Amino acid sequence: MAEGGGGRGETSDKAREEFFSEAQELVDGLGRDLLGLDEGVKAGRVDPELINDVFRGVHTLKGLSGLFGATRMAGLSHELEDVLDDLRLGRIDVTPAVLDLLFQAVTLYAQLLAAQSGEAPEPEREVEDLLLAIGQLSQRRSGGGAGVVAHYELDPGLLGVLTEYEEHRLRANIQQGLALYRIRARFSLTTIDSSLDEIKRQARPLGEIVTYLPTGSGADADTIDLEILMASRASLQTLQQAIVGPDLVIEDVARRVDPSVRPARASAAARVASAETAVVPAEAGATSAAPPPDNGSVRSFVEPPAGPKKDSLAATPGPPAAAGSLRGPGLTRELSLRSASQTVRVDIRKLDRLMTIVGELAIVKTAIARLTDRVRRRAADPRELSIELARLNRTFERHLAQMQSGILEVRMVPLGQAFDKLARIVRQISREHDKEVHLVVTGADTELDKLIVEELSDPLMHMIRNAIDHGIEPRDERLRVGKPPVGTIALNAFQKGNHVVIEVEDDGRGMDHGALVAAAVRRGMVSTDEAKELTQGEMLALVFMPGFTTKEVATDLSGRGVGLDVAKTNIGKLGGVVDITSDVGIGTKMTITLPITLAIIHVLLVEIGAHLFAVPLASVEEAIVLHEDQVRTVEARELLTVRGTSLPICRLARLFGLPPADRDRHGPFVVIARVGARRLGFVVDELVGQQDIVIKPLGKSLKGVRGFAGATELGDQRIALVIDVAALIEEVLMPGEVRFLAAADDSGRTSVALDARRRIGRA
Amino acid sequence: MAALMRARSEKRAARRAGETGRRVEYLAFGLAGETYAVQIAHVAEILRFPPITTVPRAPETVLGVISVRGKLVTVVDLRRRFALPPAVVDRKSRILLCDVGTGEQIGLLVDDVQQVWRLASEEIEPAHVLGGEQASHVAGIGRPTASEGALLILLDLRPILESP
Repeated sequence: MAEGGGGRGETSDKAREEFFSEAQELVDGLGRDLLGLDEGVKAGRVDPELINDVFRGVHTLKGLSGLFGATRMAGLSHELEDVLDDLRLGRIDVTPAVLDLLFQAVTLYAQLLAAQSGEAPEPEREVEDLLLAIGQLSQRRSGGGAGVVAHYELDPGLLGVLTEYEEHRLRANIQQGLALYRIRARFSLTTIDSSLDEIKRQARPLGEIVTYLPTGSGADADTIDLEILMASRASLQTLQQAIVGPDLVIEDVARRVDPSVRPARASAAARVASAETAVVPAEAGATSAAPPPDNGSVRSFVEPPAGPKKDSLAATPGPPAAAGSLRGPGLTRELSLRSASQTVRVDIRKLDRLMTIVGELAIVKTAIARLTDRVRRRAADPRELSIELARLNRTFERHLAQMQSGILEVRMVPLGQAFDKLARIVRQISREHDKEVHLVVTGADTELDKLIVEELSDPLMHMIRNAIDHGIEPRDERLRVGKPPVGTIALNAFQKGNHVVIEVEDDGRGMDHGALVAAAVRRGMVSTDEAKELTQGEMLALVFMPGFTTKEVATDLSGRGVGLDVAKTNIGKLGGVVDITSDVGIGTKMTITLPITLAIIHVLLVEIGAHLFAVPLASVEEAIVLHEDQVRTVEARELLTVRGTSLPICRLARLFGLPPADRDRHGPFVVIARVGARRLGFVVDELVGQQDIVIKPLGKSLKGVRGFAGATELGDQRIALVIDVAALIEEVLMPGEVRFLAAADDSGRTSVALDARRRIGRA
Repeated sequence: MAALMRARSEKRAARRAGETGRRVEYLAFGLAGETYAVQIAHVAEILRFPPITTVPRAPETVLGVISVRGKLVTVVDLRRRFALPPAVVDRKSRILLCDVGTGEQIGLLVDDVQQVWRLASEEIEPAHVLGGEQASHVAGIGRPTASEGALLILLDLRPILESP
C-alpha cells in the first residue's frame, strides 16, 4: 500500500487513509458542483457560489496533496486554481469547453488517487495534456463585457473600492439583465454581525449581494450605516416585502438615460473600465432570452452540435484545442468509477472488525439459548437460574439487535453516490459520441451497502455505455422514425422487499434477436444447431457472453466485446441477477436485482442428507411439504404444481451428490425461492429453523466451487454452507446462460460448454 | 501488508538460523508410514481434528472447511493430495495450519506430528536425487546427521497451497 508514496514510509498508514478518504470526498464534491455548473450554463445562468465551491475544493486538494507528497496532483491543482480564479473573476467565460477540461480534471484526480494508493500507474501523459490545454485556456483571457457598469448611477467612491471579484460580479449581473438595488441600513455596532447575516439570508433567494460598504455617515458612535449593493431579478416591491429591518431603505439604482453617451462621471469608474482590455459586444446577448431551465430531476446533457443558442456565456467560442483534448488520451484508458477511498465516514474495515465482534456475540447468544434450554429440561431445581438466564438472553438479544441495525445503518449509503459519477460519464460519452442524451434519475436516495454501491459503479457504467453506443440512435435516425431527437436513459432505483432493484432503460433501437444470434454464430460462440434451440430470453442473454459484440468495428466506447459480461459477473458476485428485456424500435431495459446488505442475513436452516445448509430468507417465498405424486416431468425437468402455477424443482441432494440420511424425516420439503422474475423449488430433507447469521467467505482455494455464497458458524463449532440462491437458480433454469458464464471463469477452460453440461448432468 | 510482515519474519528467522550455523527448522510429520517435513516458518498453528464441514462440489482433495477463531479455513487431505491410501482420522491426527503468503491459510491433515528438526544446508539433498520426474512439491530430502537413518521428505508448500 505504501509503494505509491515514493518511499515516504514514515507517513503513517492511518494518515494516508485519511488523506485518501478526504481527497476522494473532495473529488466527488467537485464532480457534483461541476454538474450543477453544467446545468446552469445550459440554462444560461452561472451560480457564482458553485464556481467558488469548485475553487475552494481544488484549493483544499492542492494543500492536501502537497502535504502527502502527491506532487503531480498538487501541480495539477495549482494550475486549475489559476483557471478557476480566472473563472471566478470573469477573466474567462464559463463555456462547455472549459467545463470539459474541468470534468477531465475530475477524472484525472480519480486516476491520480488510484495511482497514489498503488492500484494503477500515474496518468502522466494525460496530466501533461490537460496542463497544456489549461495553459492555452489562460492565454485566452477575455474581459466579460466592459463598460456596462458605467450605465448605472453608481457612486464613484463605491466603485473605486470594489475588489476585482466584486467588479466581476457586478458586471456579470448587469450583463445577465438583473436590476441593481441599493439597500441603506443602519446597524448597531453591537449587533451588526447578526443583523447583516439576517439581511443576507433574506436577500439570498432573491439575488446576489455584490458588496456592502460603510457610508461613513453614521449617526453616532454606536451605529454604522451600510450601503448594500444588490443585483436581483425581482421587482423593487418584492424586495421591499422580503427584506425588512429597522432603519432599512431599498431603492433602485437608476439607469442612465442615454447609455451610448459615456458621461463624464464614468471616468470616476476608470478603474473598472481600465480593467477591461477589450469590449465584447455582450449587451445584445445579455438581454436575449435564456433557454428555459430544465425540469428539476432531469439532467440534460444536450450539446447541440451547431446550436444557435446565444446566451452571453456561450457566446465566446470555446478554445478549439481544449475541446479537442476532450477526445484525448484522458478518455481512451479504460476508466473505473470505483473510488480510491473505501471510507464512508468510518473506515469500512473498522466496521468489518465490529461485524466480526457482533458475529461472535451472536454465537454467544446461541450458546446461552442452548444452555437455558438444557437447564430448563433437566430439573426443577435450577428453575430460577433458567428464568434468570432466559431474561439475560432476552436483554442480550435486544441489545444485539440494536447494535446490528446500528452498524448496518452505518454501512448503508445512498445509491446517488454512484449515480453522480454516472451522470458525469453520460455527459462525457454523449459529447464524445455526438449523441444527445437525457439522463433521468429516480430513487437516488435508495440505500445500499457501501460495498455494493462501490462495486456497482463499474457494471452500471458498462450498461450505460452500451445503451449510448448501441441503443440510442443518432439524431437523424431518431427523427426519421418519429422519436424525439434527444435520447433518454432512465436510471431507476427502488427497494422491493429485501432487495434493491436498479433499472437502466433506454429509448433506443432495441435489440434484434435475430441479429444477436447471427453475431454469436458468426463468432463461433454457439453452433447453428444450438442457435435454433435458443429461447427468446437466451437470445438476449447472448449479450452477456464474453467477447460478444454485434459491431464489426470496435469504437472507443464499446464494441470491443468486453463490458456486459464483466458487468454481469460482478453483479453475480454481489448476489444479484441481471434480467434483460428489449423491444425492437422501442428500447432496452436491464434490471439488476440486488440484496440490500451483505453482512448479517436471515436464513432458513435446512438439512440435506446429514448436512446442514442455510438458505437466505430474503429469496425464500415459502416452504411446503413435497408430495411425490404431484411431481410431473416435462422435458427432463421436474415440475410441481403449486396453487395452479408450475414450479420447477431441483433436488439438492442429487445436485450436490450427497447420500441420503439414515434417520426418519418429516420431509421432504420444497423451499420455494425467487430471485428477480425466476422461481425454483429446492427439495430438502428437513427444515431446521430460522437464524440470523454472519456470512463469511470461503477461502480462495474454493472459489471455483459454484452454488455457495459462503458459510456461517452456528455456535457449536458446526458450520453451515450458505446457498447462493441466485447462482443455483441460474444454473438450473438457464443452463444455456451458465454455459456462457462459465467461459468467463478465470481458469481459462475452453471446453466450457462441456463443463457446464457435466455439472448440470449431476442434477 | 501481511506479505511484508511475513517477509520480515522470514528474514528474521533466516538471520536467527544464520547465528546458529545456518540451520533451518523443519516440522516433521507422518503420512502413510513416511516422514515428511515442512519449514516451521510456514506453519502457523497445529490443531487437533475439529468438526469439519464437507463442501459439495469441492475438489476431491478438499476434506472440507473448519472454523479457526471465526475464520473459515479449507482443509486439504494430504494423503489424497499425494494419492496415498486413505486413513482414518484418530486421536493422533493433526491439522497443520499453513501459510506461505498466498493470501490464504490452508489446513493440511496429517497422520501425526513428530518433532522439529534443525537442518543445516549440508544435511539437505536436492530433490533431483530422487531421479525421474520427482513431484513438484518435493523440495529435497533431509538426512539429519544427529539421527542415523532418519529420512525426511521436505515439502515445498507453495504448489500444494496454490492448487490444493
